[in-house]
Amino acid sequence: MTFLLVALAALAVAPLPQDPEPRAWTIQAERVYTSTGRNLEKGLVVVSAGKISAVTPGAGDEDERPRDRLKVYAVTAGLVDAGVRVTNWSSVEQSKEVTPQLRVSDALDPFALDWERQLRSGVTTVLASPIDRNVIGGLSVVLKTAGPESIAARTLKADAVLRGSMGSDPSAGNHAASGRPTDFYSRRPTTRMGVEWEWRNAFFTTALGQNEQDPGRATLVAALQGKIPVFVQAWTTQDIRTAVFLREEVQARPEFASAGMNTPRFVIDAAAEAWKEPQLLARSQTPVILPPFPAGGRTRDNALMAWNVAKILKDSGVPFALSSHGSSDVADRLAMQAGYAMAGGITFEDALAAVTSTPAKLLGVDSRVGSLEVGKDADLVLWSGEPFQPGTRVVATIVDGVLRYEGWDAVQGAAIAR
Amino acid sequence: MLPILLAFAAATIPGQSPLAIRAKTVWTGGGRVLENGVVVVDDGRIQSVGTDVAIPEDAEVLEHDGVLTAGMIALHGAAGAVGETRDGTRPALPEARVGLALDGRSRDFEELREAGITSILVTPDPSGITGGTTALVKTLDGQVVRDPAHLSLVFSSEGLSGNREPTSRPGALALLNALFAEPRGVVADARAGRIGCLFEVREREDIGRAIAFAREKKLRGALHGAGLSGELSEPIRDSGLAVILPVLGVGAPQRVLDAVARLAKDGVAFGFGLDAPWVHADSLRLSAALCVRAGLDRQAAWRGLTADAAKIAGVDDRLGRIERGLDADLVLWSGDPLDLSSSARTVLVGGKSVPMGGPAGTAKESHR
Repeated sequence: MTFLLVALAALAVAPLPQDPEPRAWTIQAERVYTSTGRNLEKGLVVVSAGKISAVTPGAGDEDERPRDRLKVYAVTAGLVDAGVRVTNWSSVEQSKEVTPQLRVSDALDPFALDWERQLRSGVTTVLASPIDRNVIGGLSVVLKTAGPESIAARTLKADAVLRGSMGSDPSAGNHAASGRPTDFYSRRPTTRMGVEWEWRNAFFTTALGQNEQDPGRATLVAALQGKIPVFVQAWTTQDIRTAVFLREEVQARPEFASAGMNTPRFVIDAAAEAWKEPQLLARSQTPVILPPFPAGGRTRDNALMAWNVAKILKDSGVPFALSSHGSSDVADRLAMQAGYAMAGGITFEDALAAVTSTPAKLLGVDSRVGSLEVGKDADLVLWSGEPFQPGTRVVATIVDGVLRYEGWDAVQGAAIAR
Repeated sequence: MLPILLAFAAATIPGQSPLAIRAKTVWTGGGRVLENGVVVVDDGRIQSVGTDVAIPEDAEVLEHDGVLTAGMIALHGAAGAVGETRDGTRPALPEARVGLALDGRSRDFEELREAGITSILVTPDPSGITGGTTALVKTLDGQVVRDPAHLSLVFSSEGLSGNREPTSRPGALALLNALFAEPRGVVADARAGRIGCLFEVREREDIGRAIAFAREKKLRGALHGAGLSGELSEPIRDSGLAVILPVLGVGAPQRVLDAVARLAKDGVAFGFGLDAPWVHADSLRLSAALCVRAGLDRQAAWRGLTADAAKIAGVDDRLGRIERGLDADLVLWSGDPLDLSSSARTVLVGGKSVPMGGPAGTAKESHR
């Protein structure tokens, strides 16, 4: 009894942080899109203790606890964006070109409005990566877009991906010294081949044990052994080819085999011109993440992104995910990307997979998120109509069982029963 | 290096008689407010304080129809060291001592002491991951009270640079971790708790990182520079760190002022910074007065300018309160010092009277 009183007194002086507790919810929807291939017309998704506890057909007892019942047109799993860039120069350490060991999570701001923007567009899980200024920029982190006000508490998977880039981004701004160098930008790489050389140098020195003192070595070893996937930004055909050939070289050369470092896993990020090399990607079993569809047809690095790129990848058997890149442009929202990809010829199911289950698999978090299945995290998007259509709104977003976003019609009470 | 405590006897003129100040109101800074209190000063120190205090026969007696307080302590600035507080050539200069760059007789100090500020924490600029160590100095005669006072550690983006390491947050953290592996020097003193750290922060995200680092390395000290610190008052309280607020001008948003009130409510010790000499010395009182107007307890605000500031600077054994044995750094205010129409009529530093009104000493009343 005394102990209980002491415990109560301790509670009284140290109130818990005012973070909403996960609540029990019953989402009643005309359409339940599960991302498992099994969809329901008129179904229920039941949530308790932050997890999905049931996905069933029917309408249940509609009078039961109306406060916990949300009625919407459609419900899907929370969207997953594996291509979010941290639009912050302080996310990448530019004093060196190769910084595999540095963590982008150390640069993230839990209070930034970007997370809420993602939430409003239905994205509940992201891979946040450093800005592509380094050849190998560091370790990306998978995190939820809502939750307690700390990055550590929102992290779903730390050190999830080793992040780097081919192409022109890592060499932009570097220059050959003319006279006395005044800063560290008088260095390589200044060209695409210089960028590729830095990758090759990092991999070979690791396999040959020539970088024992390098703080990034352990990360590079893990990447070459396939323990951490390597996400390589490559917009254009030649950069996609360069990345695939580099991996195939690592798989084939005896130096890597004898060191036990010949099984890297590559994912090509921002592969706008993947439609030109579907056979290469299929043969090498390299998944890709597509960048946002560009307004003028051309992306960064002057890559040409065809409208039917997703369709070509689908037909060729190349796994692909879609991404908004974390852009603040409303036309770049992830749900819009899925709609554009459907306009390019893929089915709703394929588009849904490309923004839920496929990116979850690429990130190795598919046991937790990416589909509506019993036992998975209660990350749900409630839609006013058919998802990915331009006129459809995100009515509400639930993360880990907590209602984190309500759209304007929810405030008016038109869609959500309170 | 152990912090050097220069325990000089205060600069009372030898042979001078004790001074007894009989004031209408005395704010002792220890939570007590005395009506018709008496404070006796001798040999640069406070000999006694109370309402029923024996006044020595040879004492000079000063009657004051206002408020008597301890001198204020400004917790951030470059007074006496303008142009000497930043060396941006290297990512880390932990052993750089701003106390050695000081000109103790700089005219920067005149404005401060005439405004009732009797000590100031002079700080290296945020540069790289550390710009060096802070020093606490008196505003009269350049007496150094504590040097080094803190190791400055930069968690704000000001430490990052476009053309030298670190350019990034992760890079800065890697450098900080490497720095704290140093076996000797001021960093080892910080790790062992022999010296506190001054964490330079601006945004709330900086505070999260600074707290995590302090916890990991078991550091103590204060977070300087984030107006919204109070929005994270619970994690700050749990970290044991104190807060030094930035200068709050008349344009300080209500949100910032509300956040300060939360610091007090949640029991986080806080003081006020003053970017002297670029900001007028009266801005220190103004910062606190704005918080009081927004609902902060008056005595809590005043402790932030005196007793709690002394704790944050690690000098509460000498400064910040009117208590027997402490330095006679005293201010005689015309009225309530948090009423901005009040002014400092007489300022004593170590029992020695500060000439008021500039070098000529004519504009304001001056005692001996």
